[in-house]
Amino acid sequence: RCLGSLGKAAPSTSQLSSRLYGTLLAPEANQQVDPTVINDKLITEPLRHPDFFNVKELFSLKELFDARVHLGHKKGCRHGFMEPYIFGCRLDQDIIDLDQTMKHLQLALNFTAHVAYRKGIILFISRNRQFGHLVEVTARDCGEYAHTRYWQGGLLTNAHIQYGTGIRLPDLLIFISTLNNVFEPHVAIRDAAKMNIPTVGVVDTNCNPSIITYPIPGNDDSPLAVELYCRLFKMTITRAKNKRKQMEVLYGLQNKADSS
Amino acid sequence: MARPSWSRAWQLLGAARRGSSYGTGDSLGPGVSPPEPEKRPSSLTSALGAGSRQVPSKNVESFASMLRRSPLVQMGPAKDKIVLGQIFHIVEDDLYIDFGGKFHCVCKRPEVDGEKYQKGSRVRLRLVDLELTSRFLGGKTDTTLLEADAVLLGLLESREIRQKE
Repeated sequence: RCLGSLGKAAPSTSQLSSRLYGTLLAPEANQQVDPTVINDKLITEPLRHPDFFNVKELFSLKELFDARVHLGHKKGCRHGFMEPYIFGCRLDQDIIDLDQTMKHLQLALNFTAHVAYRKGIILFISRNRQFGHLVEVTARDCGEYAHTRYWQGGLLTNAHIQYGTGIRLPDLLIFISTLNNVFEPHVAIRDAAKMNIPTVGVVDTNCNPSIITYPIPGNDDSPLAVELYCRLFKMTITRAKNKRKQMEVLYGLQNKADSS
Repeated sequence: MARPSWSRAWQLLGAARRGSSYGTGDSLGPGVSPPEPEKRPSSLTSALGAGSRQVPSKNVESFASMLRRSPLVQMGPAKDKIVLGQIFHIVEDDLYIDFGGKFHCVCKRPEVDGEKYQKGSRVRLRLVDLELTSRFLGGKTDTTLLEADAVLLGLLESREIRQKE
């Protein structure tokens, strides 16, 4: 499946700076062009392992089950594209297949960890008013950004006119809920796809998972489930950032030892 | 004092019953592929003495069996079932009660013992519906209210003082 290959292949960061600007400024400090050996090893080493940050141990099937991640909406609310991810329908209520959710969650967390390791900017998005504060607190705690208010049309697509030239766009969008307040797909999903920004999103049975790069089929309405997702994302991002600091120290020391 | 041969027969009978229940549990989903063999509970393999499959070190339960044993599925249709809930938010006269389903329910504060309903109180509910949805004229999908529907019966009988938080 293409999902698997996307997870394994390296997100090419050589185009990282160039695709963010419309036309304009020479991209500053392309780390990949840097000839020193440290930076090369620093970036390529995590890509050799399928689960470098060991995100598998952060969650278990039982934890997902107890957080009510498998509960979906009623059969009448079901989106056609969610059918592959649905285990079955019990008394008109859809049940999401947690085995698939485990796989997708592992891919998504692994990708988030890699983005955070490479110092990417992560933006949390949720238009669900019940969890807006929780998402903002999560973003603040891991040193990333959140947007839980009304999304203006040109935030991503019109950025260098609205915010001035040389603006850096987020490198990853994480949707805790992919729908907006009128049960339509959030505008940012389409805009991120237009701007080549990968997206991770929790899709419930009434959501459209098509354009999202790393969909996570699961419940996005229960407080327990949303708290679990926020906790997992926070842990992966902090883990990846700490790992980065560790690796910098490690390769810094190595280089010092080699040169002396 | 049970004779050892009889107790051994009980074990095998229990394992066989678990095996058959697991088989029917798989057929819950409409033709979805069953979970991988290594997810089977280890008690089944050890009781039947199958040496070919790997016995996992921990007793890892599969999603299908967890679902089958869950209170939601064991309860059956939600209509007129009595459940316990906990109040997690109050807005003047509206009590937001979480009873373990996907959504919470909102009930009006009753006149009798009104003051005793605070954040964290355990209450008894009679469920009407797990999710309020309806297909309106001209709609492609159902419109959902993101709420469950229940009738508040009263505080938990034994001790109202026993509150979480």
